[in-house]
Amino acid sequence: MELEETSHHTRNRTYLLAWLGLVILTGTTVSLAGMGLGRLAILSVLLIAGTKSALVLTYFMHLRSERMLIFKVIIPLVLAVFLVFIILTFSDVAFRGGVK
Amino acid sequence: MGEAKERVSEEVRDYTGAKLGMWLFLLSEILLFGGIFILYSAYRYKNPVEFHHASQELDVVLGTLNTLILLTSSLTMAISISAIQKGQAKLSGWLLAATIILGLLFLMNKGIEWGAKIHYGIYPGSPALLSRAKGEILFFGLYYVMTGLHGLHVLVGVCVLVVMLILLRRGKIGPTRFVSLENSGLYWHLVDIVWIFLFPLFYLIT
Repeated sequence: MELEETSHHTRNRTYLLAWLGLVILTGTTVSLAGMGLGRLAILSVLLIAGTKSALVLTYFMHLRSERMLIFKVIIPLVLAVFLVFIILTFSDVAFRGGVK
Repeated sequence: MGEAKERVSEEVRDYTGAKLGMWLFLLSEILLFGGIFILYSAYRYKNPVEFHHASQELDVVLGTLNTLILLTSSLTMAISISAIQKGQAKLSGWLLAATIILGLLFLMNKGIEWGAKIHYGIYPGSPALLSRAKGEILFFGLYYVMTGLHGLHVLVGVCVLVVMLILLRRGKIGPTRFVSLENSGLYWHLVDIVWIFLFPLFYLIT
């Protein structure tokens, strides 16, 4: 009975569409990077990578159909921890040059 | 009777608990790769020009091909799990085998790419690399560490999937008993996500 409650039956069509989205985003990111947009390129390429990860997490890794709260907060939680690491590292790296 | 009861209790499986445990492991993996991603960002911030020159030497076509291979392997993995849930063990097995082959194909491409770099004398500690600018040494050091660690994860994933295929063939994985396959799938998808970030950072942002 527990299996009934927690396992997921995502349709194959959904998987195919998610895959198609991923392939299209890959094409977009490769051509965007070739345009020489400079700083904007880094931003757009990372945004696309984030979107692709979200697609994988939502559909392939079934976060969409998980009903328990813990599965919903798990990714935001680890991203928050990661963000703290980034802020701490860059507040060090960016200002270290000033002290001589 | 008591013995029979015991045997029944042995069969109790904690589906949600097993998956939650896998997710906790995956979170530690995210932070493992995350730490090296921060290292990459910090060095890129310090050496923008050298990183720019060095990243232009990587083969975008091969990188894109490998991205498509891994994305497709995620698709076959996901459908393989969905097939076993529906009781289609044979289809599930074939899709699992396809996932394994795609994983090996990815590793083969990675081998070709590394082989070409090593052929040109670019490998950690090589005289040709050490004669270059500091930023380029850092770039290729990170390139080998990050794609190497990722490749190792793909290799481990392939081994796990081979074990799953054997279990599937022996009927140890079935329509009511698939959490091990599902957890292997979660791992495989996470390895895919890591590549989703590695690919633009090394091959695209030039």
